[in-house]
Amino acid sequence: MEEKFEPQMVGFLCRWCSYQAADLAGTSRMKYQPNIVFTRVMCSSRVDPIFVIKAFFHGADGVIIAGCHPGDCHYQEGNYYARRRFALINKIFEKLNLEPERLRLAWISASEGPKFAKVTQDFVNDIRKIGPNRTRKEIFL
Amino acid sequence: MAKVLELGKSIDEGVRALLRFLLESGKIKGVLTLTKISRDDDVAYSLITNSELVEDTVPLYPLMPSNTAKLLTRLTLLEPMTEPIAAVVKPCELRGFIELIKLNQGSLENILFISSTCGGVYSLKTAEKGNVGEKLPQYWESIKKMEVPPDVRPTCKGCKYFLPYSADITVDLIGKEYNGKKCEILINTQKGEEFISGMEGELKEVEIPTEYIDSYRNKRLAEREKIFNEIRVEKFGLEELINIFGKCIGCHGCRTVCPICYCKLCYFDSRESDYKPINFETELERKDGMRIPPDTILYQIVRLTHISTSCVGCGMCSDICPVDIPLSIIFSMMGESVQGMFEYVPGKNVEEKMPLITFKTEEFVELEL
Amino acid sequence: MKGAKILVDNNREEVILEFLKKGLDRTCFDAILIPLKVPSEDSFAYVLLKNPSLLDRASALPPVMPVQGAKALYSLTKQGKFKQKVAIVMRPCEIRAGIELYKLKQTELENIFLISIDCPGVLPLSDYIKDPEKGTDAFKETVVQWGSEFTRPVCKICTRFSMVASDLHIGLLGAEDRNIFLIPRSEKGENLLESLDISLENDMESWVTKVKELQEERKKKREQEHKGLKSKIEGPDKFLETFSKCINCHNCMRVCPICYCRECYFDSDAMKLYPENYLMRAKNKGGLRFPPDTLLFHLGRMSHMVFSCVSCGTCEDACPVSIPIAQVFALVADNAQELFHYVPGENIEEPHPLATYKEEEFRDIEMPYVETYTKKEMKDG
Repeated sequence: MEEKFEPQMVGFLCRWCSYQAADLAGTSRMKYQPNIVFTRVMCSSRVDPIFVIKAFFHGADGVIIAGCHPGDCHYQEGNYYARRRFALINKIFEKLNLEPERLRLAWISASEGPKFAKVTQDFVNDIRKIGPNRTRKEIFL
Repeated sequence: MAKVLELGKSIDEGVRALLRFLLESGKIKGVLTLTKISRDDDVAYSLITNSELVEDTVPLYPLMPSNTAKLLTRLTLLEPMTEPIAAVVKPCELRGFIELIKLNQGSLENILFISSTCGGVYSLKTAEKGNVGEKLPQYWESIKKMEVPPDVRPTCKGCKYFLPYSADITVDLIGKEYNGKKCEILINTQKGEEFISGMEGELKEVEIPTEYIDSYRNKRLAEREKIFNEIRVEKFGLEELINIFGKCIGCHGCRTVCPICYCKLCYFDSRESDYKPINFETELERKDGMRIPPDTILYQIVRLTHISTSCVGCGMCSDICPVDIPLSIIFSMMGESVQGMFEYVPGKNVEEKMPLITFKTEEFVELEL
Repeated sequence: MKGAKILVDNNREEVILEFLKKGLDRTCFDAILIPLKVPSEDSFAYVLLKNPSLLDRASALPPVMPVQGAKALYSLTKQGKFKQKVAIVMRPCEIRAGIELYKLKQTELENIFLISIDCPGVLPLSDYIKDPEKGTDAFKETVVQWGSEFTRPVCKICTRFSMVASDLHIGLLGAEDRNIFLIPRSEKGENLLESLDISLENDMESWVTKVKELQEERKKKREQEHKGLKSKIEGPDKFLETFSKCINCHNCMRVCPICYCRECYFDSDAMKLYPENYLMRAKNKGGLRFPPDTLLFHLGRMSHMVFSCVSCGTCEDACPVSIPIAQVFALVADNAQELFHYVPGENIEEPHPLATYKEEEFRDIEMPYVETYTKKEMKDG
């Protein structure tokens, strides 16, 4: 009997925008599947590439970084740097064929509760289609 | 038009004459360059202060025991040189040092950079048993004919940065006869001019023919494509990565010799990356087994992410690897992609900011949701 | 000495893996740490496994030692005791290094079950990787002859290839190809065999005799080799020549199981000096090799770890310029350990020589001071 694949994903939300959006989605009782475990960081630029790559290699089926819209970062420039770092990780995963579809970057402001729910649900749906991350069972990592 | 000092000596003798002149005139107090150090053909970098010892130097020897960028960092990490020295470096070593300067790991002050148009270096394994000495005549022949020497490091064969960017003085090597009667020294900067003034030789103004540089670059690019095709990056994926890096023993030698890896305490040596017993138990619940020590491939990919924007493709990593993983080819290939994406050439211009500490307000729109 | 003799149907490797599978099935241990063949099939890596089917790719006596087993044990237990029971299959030098690390408080041996095996030596890693098929054949010959020209140089003169302080030892010597010996070396070992219904009804005389015979041969060979090596490297000129190729990559230190410091002294700020210092040293001699302090690194590392050096030879495998580093360290280690009659990893209760002292010892070193100055002191009142 095959076990139904339930994605286990990881997210990094910035405290000033996307985390508040998540709160808003929650208080407004918007429904989205609970497959992503979120970690709050003060700014999307806190996300070191190590977090994303380590999560991926330890079996996360998807990793999402969400921050303020460019120009609206609480710390002025943080999300610009986060975008560049994400471009770097994305390019490396792309060239090494490591499924860059499992990585996502989103700008969600504090009032965009519906967008948060949609982005999250879409991501979970897409990962369901892609399937589980093979690193989960891989021994020689 | 470029300023050239022509010496009536062979390139071999001419470079040594230059170093001797600089030391004897007191313009520099020491020179960092390759020196013969034993009865066999062993060479190592030395900081020479006595002009009589210049006799033992082999400045343009095709070997790189360590990347000079690391040596220059060691010298100038705590403070700039207090007295002027000269350093004979290869183009990639100089680019590596410029990157390290941007990372606050050294200082350019009081250092005269002497470089050459670079034909490539042999790997450390070739240097065992004095093999480099045997290959030298063939090496110089290839250089003269403007061909790529057949058995230098793969990253050297495919390197398109054989013209040094920020050198004060460049010895013209490619297309020239090493043991001939002429040594042409290009003077690139005012600093170079000041240091070299007073040296015996014919000062000329010449037009550098760009066609020969372009045709040589094309040869290198052709080699590069050949080497990258052998690795077959289209075949990459988790499985192929595990095939290639499966035999990595986690010695971290690649990190130790890399000029760009300068962290005092690497993440992978720190407590952060240690596994506690509970971590092992959790992993074993999900998997049938796990390699010990863990996170071997994670180390490689994270190191790649950290340094690829600055990778100068020197090839030290492959040389040092005890299990012959083609690291330098993979890292240099990824470096090229990433640097192309950010339109950045590492070490070209010390004023140019590194890609991850700068940004444009509109870019990479295709990546964001 | 009592042990168990197990009959071998196919090959000895299979019998050992069967035995381990049984131990896992009956939960005598919860997991096994053993070398497995890597996916590219040209090397081996230690894997901690709980699924017995993975043992199909395992080897209790692989032809190479890419990672020293004690380093794997260190990685497993450096942050605390393991709560599950783990059986670890390692070569004698790896076991001894693991015990030395325990004395240095870097590993925990509670819940760890040490299984050792008679070792004929290992092949240098780069030789095996170049041609794994040829390497496998070379290793087969090495097992049959119990040593060969193909092994690491220090393996050729190893005298401690058996009889270590593990919990259970797998004996291959003194048994014909149709047998292996299972010899308990501790109470834990005895209990394990009992719980697997393996009775200790055989006499291990033939094993003991064969091991002692080979040890005598090797001792003579080791003495001879060391004498020859000493004449090749002694004195400042020859010693410098030996290390002339060193590029200061520190690979030898990194792969050494005993070198566990997170930040080696020779990588630390203590070695990073102001530029005047380097220039001054260069001016004093006319020149200074760069990076400097190569010999300082080797002699310093020697002084730090030589008492625990088990002469495994992993350092020499990792050296990119083929310096005979393991042979040099083995020579010095033998002499240094002899000073204290200390054998690293032999006895877990015995403290490290530098962690203990006697109030009266090494008079012959201090005597000159005493002789010169006590008389003067007494005269001066």
